[in-house]
Amino acid sequence: MNASTIFIAMLPEHVLLAGIVALLALEIAGGRSRLALGISLAAVLAACAVALSLAQQGYAAVPFPGQLSVAPAVSVAQAIVLALAIPSLLISRDDFPGRTFHVLVLSSLYGACLMVSADSFLTLFLGIELLSLPVYALVVLAYRRPESAEAALKYLVLGGTASATLLMGAALLFGASGSLGLESFRLALDSRDGFAVAGVLLVLVAFFLKAAVAPFHTWAPDAYDAASVPVTAFMATLVKAAVLLAAARLFGTAPLGPAATGIIAALPLLSIAWGNLAAMRQPGLRRMIAYSSVAHAGYLFYAFLGEGALRFQAIAFYVLAYGVMNLLAFAVLPPDGDDRARDRLDNLKGLVHRQPYAAVALAIAMLSLAGLPPFPGFIAKFLIFKNAIAAGYTLYGVLGLVGSYLGIYFYLRVVQYLFMSEAPAGTRSCAPGGLAAGAGLLCLAAAVVMSVAPGWVIDLLP
Amino acid sequence: MREALALNLVLFLPVAGIVALATVPRGRGDRIRAIAFWTLAIQFALTAWLYARFDASDAGLQFATRLPWIPDWGVYYFIGLDGYNVLLVLLTAFLGPLVAAGAFSAITRDVRLFYSMVLAIQFTMVGTFLAQDLFLFYLFWEAMLIPMFLIIGIWGGERRIYATLKFVLYTAFGSILMLAAVIYLVVSIKSTTGIETFAFADLYRSRLPLDTQVILLAAFGLSFAIKVPIVPLHTWLPDAHVEAPTAGSVILAGVLLKMGTYGFMKLGFPLFPQATQLLAPAIATLAVVSIVYGACLALVQTDVKKVIAYSSISHLGYVMLGLASFNLLGIQGAVMQMVSHGLVAGGLFLMVGMIYERCHTREIAAYGGLAKILPLYAVFFAILALASIGLPTTSGFTGEFLALLGYFTSAWPQYLQGERLPIALAVAAVSGVILGALYMLWLAQRMLFGETRAPHRPFPDLTGRERAILVALVAAIFALGLFPAGPMSRTELAARQYRELVTAPAAPAVALEQPR
Repeated sequence: MNASTIFIAMLPEHVLLAGIVALLALEIAGGRSRLALGISLAAVLAACAVALSLAQQGYAAVPFPGQLSVAPAVSVAQAIVLALAIPSLLISRDDFPGRTFHVLVLSSLYGACLMVSADSFLTLFLGIELLSLPVYALVVLAYRRPESAEAALKYLVLGGTASATLLMGAALLFGASGSLGLESFRLALDSRDGFAVAGVLLVLVAFFLKAAVAPFHTWAPDAYDAASVPVTAFMATLVKAAVLLAAARLFGTAPLGPAATGIIAALPLLSIAWGNLAAMRQPGLRRMIAYSSVAHAGYLFYAFLGEGALRFQAIAFYVLAYGVMNLLAFAVLPPDGDDRARDRLDNLKGLVHRQPYAAVALAIAMLSLAGLPPFPGFIAKFLIFKNAIAAGYTLYGVLGLVGSYLGIYFYLRVVQYLFMSEAPAGTRSCAPGGLAAGAGLLCLAAAVVMSVAPGWVIDLLP
Repeated sequence: MREALALNLVLFLPVAGIVALATVPRGRGDRIRAIAFWTLAIQFALTAWLYARFDASDAGLQFATRLPWIPDWGVYYFIGLDGYNVLLVLLTAFLGPLVAAGAFSAITRDVRLFYSMVLAIQFTMVGTFLAQDLFLFYLFWEAMLIPMFLIIGIWGGERRIYATLKFVLYTAFGSILMLAAVIYLVVSIKSTTGIETFAFADLYRSRLPLDTQVILLAAFGLSFAIKVPIVPLHTWLPDAHVEAPTAGSVILAGVLLKMGTYGFMKLGFPLFPQATQLLAPAIATLAVVSIVYGACLALVQTDVKKVIAYSSISHLGYVMLGLASFNLLGIQGAVMQMVSHGLVAGGLFLMVGMIYERCHTREIAAYGGLAKILPLYAVFFAILALASIGLPTTSGFTGEFLALLGYFTSAWPQYLQGERLPIALAVAAVSGVILGALYMLWLAQRMLFGETRAPHRPFPDLTGRERAILVALVAAIFALGLFPAGPMSRTELAARQYRELVTAPAAPAVALEQPR
């Protein structure tokens, strides 16, 4: 461990930290709040570029042995999370003109970067908490609607439960192996020791809670619904991506073992079915996305059924495709002074005649989330199910695919509203703001690249 | 080389057309129509040129392009023409400009979106036929749903949303099981040979155990059978046809349904030959049930579109019967019937659209004696109706006759060995021809002759544009009926290859070649 290794290996984190410091200085100096967006964007862009270039160079280092290490997969994971943050920041300006939002987002990102490079449960816990705590605040920050306080509290309590579960699991694993390193988890996967198995299950439950896998998903619809749109986008895409990428790091390439196989095959399937069924009946986009994200968490955990070496690639591609398409949907959602009205699916009726570009972009996002080709969601889903079936989980693969079929209906319903329904009298829609439109274009460009050249994108993932 | 380039151009021209449409300023519907029409016309011209250049004595893939697309998974961008798809691509490209021209006056709302969707569906249909890589095939196959969903849902009739959701959810269910089967097929080949490949030519050489074959054939077959559609999976079709705008109906009947039969011919049966042999009697039975049941349903409809929709189910039953005959004539008849039905049913739907634009009803009872007030319309309608019945000299005759002949030829020796079912099926299938004559002639009689009756009179006879469309269609129908040798020579080697693949005896696993 020497200073230069720490400096280079954690450079993305350092850049984020510099951004946070600059934002705090701005707060003290009382500068213009538009500057805040610029600073946070610059910090995230720079951090993302650094992470990408570290990945490109194949940089690997161990700045804190046993606690934190960096490898190309880590840098790629960080780059994905940071890249997803860019559209999230761009769509935030109308809802959050102040500086608070940006400090919270950058802190959360710092936690995400830490999580995906963790080598021990201590670092992982630190990362998860740093990721989550600002998000609780972000939910309350939303519009000060009465229900957002309630939802944030619910989120906080269940998030606290997840932390407690994770710590308990880590403690049991420590008891079984005498180590707090993540490898104690991998070793315990194959163990028959009761403590070790209980530890594995508790850690898994913590991740299920964080990723909103049924039946641990109940906080998600309320929290997503009560938060304002940029925060929902942040939670649905970036937080989920960070949690899943951290889980990929936790599992590594270790085989699942009997106890984990059962739970990882059953709960995600339940999640897919329940998420897709419940999403059919939601009147608002955010609640619908929340339930659909429960289903998507199910697909994502299916990736762990696949062979160890292929897991990271499948998860990375999926969170990227899923995140980009979700962000596209939120970016082009027509702004509305009334946050509740903005959300109602009824207000999207006949949008094609008022905002044709927004309607087309929203439709692309929905069809991709539904997993229909030629959009990237299809390739992402294909990769995950191919790996699961290749590893011998044919029945679960088929059931998961059939479950994903259930999801097609409610995504199509949004498309139907956009294109085939008459708008209720007096519906008006504003065009998305300039920055939001830019975020939408960015996501659309990413989607085109992932559809036309998926091979190239997959090659970038180690 | 030039031909390969042209084939890629045929595939991607519609995409270029969509991009061009996006640049047209608002409110310029005429320019949008012109761009869409000429894009499709050029596509047809190029396809016709490729058809002329197609070497009938070459059994392999012609004008092929093969580029790595997702190299990690062994997925290639791999397209080419062969005896299986050459006629169907030509049919698709031929119907394209007619569909576009047929909708000039019917579609006045969201014109840009409409023609974008027509071009998009043309892209996906041609892509499905040309694909020689299973991943690519599936991509196009499934992507086709999206433009069709919008075409029916936006420009359709009264119950359009119900119809379009039914169509998409029905077909998507088949597709999702096919996706599982695709993955399983590729994975199991990889586990035995160590090579991950999606190329059709490699997949044909897979030797799977019989029980696996049956399950996979069921999964592929469900998806294809829904598209064909085979009774009892046909219930989406009448709704979709009736509610779709004319262009949607023509695309559906003309090309989309052939995706199912093409899928069986190119993939379903040859990939799983032993399962196909085992299930051949069941397949033939379902085909005959479709023929007879479709015809019976067509007989009792009161809506013109529904008559033609149910007649499609009946006519595509012959295709399935021909494919299940494992007899060269039967197979070639099946291919001819696919093309013929595309022209005839497409033409009939266009004609229904033309009268609907004038009278705004599709009730048969609302019409009568059209021969007196719309003589030209009546002539074309009669020709198409006769072609649908399969009158000699029209394309319908070639296809139906050969398919039946082929099935008889293979059923007779089985009868002599004491196997009664095939010959009974063949006889029942022939009764479908009679029923076909019955409902089609009755329809023509009620609409064209008798007491003159039509809402919203007076109205003009066919316009120049409509005449041009119908003349092109009728010319193609007669050309196929009078000179079937040209097209049939191009499909003959593919038919032989299909027969060899499907009748192959079970063989031990052989190693696949390394990918080139």
